[in-house]
Amino acid sequence: MGSTSPPAEVPLVLIGREGRRRVVLAADVAALAAGLRPGMPVAKAQALVPGLAVQDADPAADAEALERLAVWALEYYAPIAAADPPDGLVIDASGAAHLHGGEAAMLADMIRRLGTSGITARAAIADSWGAAHALARHPLAHQIARPAIVIPAGESATAILELPVAALRLAPDMVGSLHRLGFERIADLASQPRAPLALRFGPELGRRLDQAMGRLAEPIDPVRPPELIAFRRIFAEPIGAPETLARYTGKLVIQLCAALEAKGLGARHLDLLFHRVDNRIEAIRIGTARPLRDVKRLTRLLRDRIETIDPGFGIEIMSLAAPAAEPLEAKQSLSPLAEAPEADVSGLIDTLANRLGAKRLYRCAAVASDVPERSVRRVAPSAPRTGLTWLDASWPRPSRLLPHPEPIETVALLPDHPPVSFIWRGIRRRVKRADGPERIFGEWWKRDAELSAVRDYFRVEDEAGERFWIFRAGNGEDAATGSHRWFLHGIFG
Amino acid sequence: MSSGRTRYAELQCTSHFSFLRGASSCEALFAQAASLGIEALAITDRNSLAGIVRAHEAAKASGVRLIVGCRLDLACGMSVLVYPMDRPAYGRLCRLLSLGKKRGGKARCRLDWSDLAAYGEGLVAILVPDEADDLCALRLRRLAEAFAGRAYLALTLRRRPNDAMRLFELANLAAQAGVAPIVTNDVLFHVPGRRILQDVVTCIRHGCTIDEAGFRRERHADRHLKPPEEMARLFERYPEALARTLEIAGRCCFSLDELAYQYPEEATMPGLTPQEALEKLTWEGAATRYPEGVPDKVAGILKHELRLIRTLQYAPYFLTVNSIVRFARSRDILCQGRGSAANSAVCYVLGITAIDPDRNDLLFERFVSEERREPPDIDVDFEHERREIVLQWVFETYGRDHAALCSTVIRYRAKGALRDVGKVLGLPEDLTRMLSRQIWGWSAEGVERKHASELNLNLGDRRLRLALDLARELIGTPRHLSQHPGGFVLTHDRLDELVPIEPAAMRDRQVIEWDKDDIDALRFMKVDCLALGMLSCLKRGLDLLALHKGIGLDLASIPAEDPATYAMIRKADTIGVFQIESRAQMAMLPRLKPRSFYDLVIEVAIVRPGPIQGDMVHPYLRRREGREPVEYPKPALEKVLGKTLGVPLFQEQAMRVAIECAGFTAGEADQLRRSMGTFKSTGGVSYFHDKLVQGMAANGYETAFAEKIFKQLEGFGSYGFPESHAASFALLAYASSWLKCHHPDVFCAALLNAQPMGFYAPAQIVGDARNHGVEIRPLCVNASRWDCTLERFAIGMEERFAVRLGLRMVRGLGNAEAAAIVAARAEQPFTSADDLWRRAGVPAAALVRLAEADAFLPSLKLARREALWAIKALRDEPLPLFAAASARETGTGLEIVEPLVTLKPMTAGGEVVLDYGHVGLTLRRHPVSFLREDLRRQRMLTCAEAMQSRDGRWLHAAGIVLLRQRPGTAKGVMFVTIEDETGIANLVIWPTLFEKQRRVLLSARMLAAYGRIQREGEVVHLVAHRLTDLSEALAGIDGRVSKGA
Repeated sequence: MGSTSPPAEVPLVLIGREGRRRVVLAADVAALAAGLRPGMPVAKAQALVPGLAVQDADPAADAEALERLAVWALEYYAPIAAADPPDGLVIDASGAAHLHGGEAAMLADMIRRLGTSGITARAAIADSWGAAHALARHPLAHQIARPAIVIPAGESATAILELPVAALRLAPDMVGSLHRLGFERIADLASQPRAPLALRFGPELGRRLDQAMGRLAEPIDPVRPPELIAFRRIFAEPIGAPETLARYTGKLVIQLCAALEAKGLGARHLDLLFHRVDNRIEAIRIGTARPLRDVKRLTRLLRDRIETIDPGFGIEIMSLAAPAAEPLEAKQSLSPLAEAPEADVSGLIDTLANRLGAKRLYRCAAVASDVPERSVRRVAPSAPRTGLTWLDASWPRPSRLLPHPEPIETVALLPDHPPVSFIWRGIRRRVKRADGPERIFGEWWKRDAELSAVRDYFRVEDEAGERFWIFRAGNGEDAATGSHRWFLHGIFG
Repeated sequence: MSSGRTRYAELQCTSHFSFLRGASSCEALFAQAASLGIEALAITDRNSLAGIVRAHEAAKASGVRLIVGCRLDLACGMSVLVYPMDRPAYGRLCRLLSLGKKRGGKARCRLDWSDLAAYGEGLVAILVPDEADDLCALRLRRLAEAFAGRAYLALTLRRRPNDAMRLFELANLAAQAGVAPIVTNDVLFHVPGRRILQDVVTCIRHGCTIDEAGFRRERHADRHLKPPEEMARLFERYPEALARTLEIAGRCCFSLDELAYQYPEEATMPGLTPQEALEKLTWEGAATRYPEGVPDKVAGILKHELRLIRTLQYAPYFLTVNSIVRFARSRDILCQGRGSAANSAVCYVLGITAIDPDRNDLLFERFVSEERREPPDIDVDFEHERREIVLQWVFETYGRDHAALCSTVIRYRAKGALRDVGKVLGLPEDLTRMLSRQIWGWSAEGVERKHASELNLNLGDRRLRLALDLARELIGTPRHLSQHPGGFVLTHDRLDELVPIEPAAMRDRQVIEWDKDDIDALRFMKVDCLALGMLSCLKRGLDLLALHKGIGLDLASIPAEDPATYAMIRKADTIGVFQIESRAQMAMLPRLKPRSFYDLVIEVAIVRPGPIQGDMVHPYLRRREGREPVEYPKPALEKVLGKTLGVPLFQEQAMRVAIECAGFTAGEADQLRRSMGTFKSTGGVSYFHDKLVQGMAANGYETAFAEKIFKQLEGFGSYGFPESHAASFALLAYASSWLKCHHPDVFCAALLNAQPMGFYAPAQIVGDARNHGVEIRPLCVNASRWDCTLERFAIGMEERFAVRLGLRMVRGLGNAEAAAIVAARAEQPFTSADDLWRRAGVPAAALVRLAEADAFLPSLKLARREALWAIKALRDEPLPLFAAASARETGTGLEIVEPLVTLKPMTAGGEVVLDYGHVGLTLRRHPVSFLREDLRRQRMLTCAEAMQSRDGRWLHAAGIVLLRQRPGTAKGVMFVTIEDETGIANLVIWPTLFEKQRRVLLSARMLAAYGRIQREGEVVHLVAHRLTDLSEALAGIDGRVSKGA
């Protein structure tokens, strides 16, 4: 959340949708203390706690962040670590703990480090993944005060007996039906014969129980840092001529595209780095409108930018990477006999976007609004069509709409008539023909000011045959509907 | 324009009966038209005449003439406004609409051009054009051919580009086709300010938010009523088209007043006139009712009533009701009549009611007055579960062209308005739900800002503010038509020439477009066939009585005037009894001390908002207790009010006072009653106020007395009870009290089987029965049937009955599954859960429900957990190998022999929680008893202790909330009944506390109240000063922390 996060003392909940209801998905310590619980409807939570901070949950980002934490643990603590979603990490500490001064010291260090980045953590070391998972999340009353629990080897199976069955990583409805039958603690289950349980709850219950007890092995699939598709070229002699750079760029692109093809991917971003002899790095980043692995086009996009590179005293290494790549399916094209294929302008879009900047490239689309300023919006160049247009013969709109309506001086008769003449930008024009009024109301749901606002638009033609779109603020009768001043808003081509 | 006033009639106006399209009521439209000086207004709703009666009434009130009309949207996309010129044309229009509705199905209408042409005779038609193109020209030509001389083309300003050109071209097209252009304004609302609400209803209709609505909003602007001068200014170029509006107004002079109505013909007795047939049936019936000979008094009454019926020609009506009731009797369906004509001797001897005129003094004349000549009104209540049989019989017998149900206009109430407006403005659903929980019942005032701020909602949020305001504006707007529960309109001629008929959502039913009030306004006759849960309950009770105890009774033969029953009623021991079981009624019983049937009639009528608001209750009680002299300023008054000690308690008395003392005609008195009901807020009442007070003064009454009478009458406006209804209800109250008094076991079983009904939940009904010494036996898979049953047992020589709870009490168990279980155990009882599952063939899920309801314990000795454990092992699809084997053995063996698993027994608290959760009641300890120690520590008294405390004592008490009532007595006092293991306590919540602790009050399942005891004779209240929500403690009694909220 960074700087937008609320102060720590303000209760915070994360919310999401459960069907048609908005419910609390997670609550922080302050919110829990105020009596809020996950699963509670948001409106109820807001009613209970004044000034509650509410933010939307983002599970995908959470998962990603957890993955990053796992990579961090991998680098810092042990060679085998993985995310244990939704809220934990699992680390195989065998043979790694001594590097950090023993198991307890390692956990303490881990909790301290996480604490400095604002993460409150609980940790447990036990004989099995299942037992450690249970102990870290469902501590007994006397363990709550200690954030780190270390269970000596061989004692895990007994250590977890008093924990609730929910600690076994079971589906919530299974936990519910176990509760209904009176199985509250793991001990209640552990003492029972296995077959009747398996008959009623399936193999999962026994498996989880065995995993926690250490009777069944459960390997950890360690995270791997994301694999980057990248190629580099080291030059014996520093190079610097643009043509040379362009040539090697082409070679790198060929290599990269081959690798992309092997994986069935297309690039959305390419980073081309130039390591100079003076240890500075110059970079080109290009983006594409859709996944692409066309050698020619990618090369051209990169070459177009080489002129921005300052080689200095020469470049030792060039490296090309595709940090963002997406699956690229080949599509069968229709026979040109049947139907003229639509021109593919994505190449043009890429070229323009990489030259001018993606943000400067847009297309205009119609919006279903009577208010002229709101009837247009900018959309991405490759955005799909909406089906709306302005081209309705009975509903003419000017080909140019001024960014802001410009006040004009008029001589006009209220309330139904267009002006006889008007002065715009210092030039007086006599109105020869006119049509109107077209009465447009403010969009009352947007702002209070538009509750009663009215504009009466007229199409007018002057003596020279020029046509303008002018309007009067207000309906000509009621002062509450507008100032009754006149404006010019558009010009017909 | 300069010569005199501009004249204009508006011919295209959509009311809010074009559901979710028009935004103004007929009343508002006509009032606005009157103030703008519009001479006549046509209501042209889409394919509908639903609002036309309202418009008719509004037109009369405002003085603006109504032109009956309709906008037909044809399947081909053509829209035509049509106006019948005379009665036959109106009949054709109705048939046309009925035809379209029949084709289109519920709430739709499908008509083609050919239909319009076929039914078009006598209709004036105006084409509503889109653009002046070829299509328009074609339609215009067709219209000119089919409606020669009666075809017009609408010229309407849209406030859109090319308006002037469009009108010009349209006028040209019209001229080419030889059709006259005519000005309309296509009105959707009465004043410009309604535009926003119109946008909102459009969005509701499209099911979108206002932000998504885009061009689905009405694109043509300025759809409000405009004064004739403005219309003339806007249509300067078309003065003839403007003047032509008056021409149409002149041509279409059909008025709803012309609808003459006739009764259906009863062909029960060939060769006899209806009157002769009725007389014959009456005397035959009298002979059966009084086997020892008809008493002279009754014979006299009968003769008198028959004479009256002859003069008023009501015989067919009585015959109709009689044949409906006879049919019900023939199918053994319990029914009882009520209403103005029902409490007559004729109805008693015909078996329509069970109120014996020999013992009671209800005068027919008072209900059917000769001079008023309004149609008689008999409502017949039937057992609610079997009423449909009667309805279908009526349709069959009278024919679908002659019988239909009234509709009910479903209007926005506060909650629905907020929900829909909230959706349109994009408020999250849980927010609007939260807000609407703050609304009490059917409140008309809507959600106010203070409610929102109480929920910590940010009123700075513009959308929220808008939603609250718009929702309040939307309240009262019709949303759609639904069917009336049982109001039949029966006619002699074709019904679909009187009013459009549409098929109802339920199969084989049809409804007319008008509701009960419309029917009343037009003085049509209707028979109400209503459903009454208490009749089902009584029927079940009487059946049980006959089956188990050998006592055969019906409503008329239940022993009358039984002292033991009245003694029970006086103690307010009336939980579950019809009508007199509510808190307010129970509080009144010890004061009123009923000793005879008529006392019950008064009891039923007196605890109503009408008498309470009119301040009639206390004077009546004082007079009854002899603490105030009964005085009649004039003898005329004694004649009217003698039976009720000089205090008007019934609606008829109120009207009678106006007639006898203030010189009202019967018709005026009736208008007075109506105007108080409907125009309470408008100025209509003051006219009657002056008339009444002056009239009484002229007759020699003091002004103060007259004012008092008026105030009392005003109370009736909102909700009064006619004596005839009160009498019918009192009879059911008496019958159910008698059953409860003498056969509490039968009563309990019957009441449980008739659930849901009344004020009390099964837990209280069962608790009450146990307090009366009835043994209640738990649910049992081997003993319970679907319904609760009686089980005979003997204590010594005495034969007693216990109530066995039925499987219907098990939450979530289907009737079919229960039936399969009962059928399967007929040969031999089940020996295990597995046996039951195998033999009954019901899915394991049904067994889980039974286990959760603890139905395996009594006979199979399987506690909840053990039963669930056993069921959990069952698979709905057994392994094929085992299935074959066990089918051979008629399945008593288990599939597998498995090691024994010991399950932890459940805590006592846990059992009770599950009892409540899955059966709705417990036969174990009361839930609150588990909290008693904690409550003691917090110095809370039990409910029984609290109710026995001395007057004025301050104390704490707590209990489960049984019911919350806020009677419509306008003072806003709320009654809450709480219950613990010792009994119930009655809380009184003053409005200040209600506002302060609204949330707790409306949501808590268990409450603690701190307050002062108020003793009023035998009635004890705890006047609450502070409330605490103990719901969490209650949820926690199962011995572990509950999950979530």
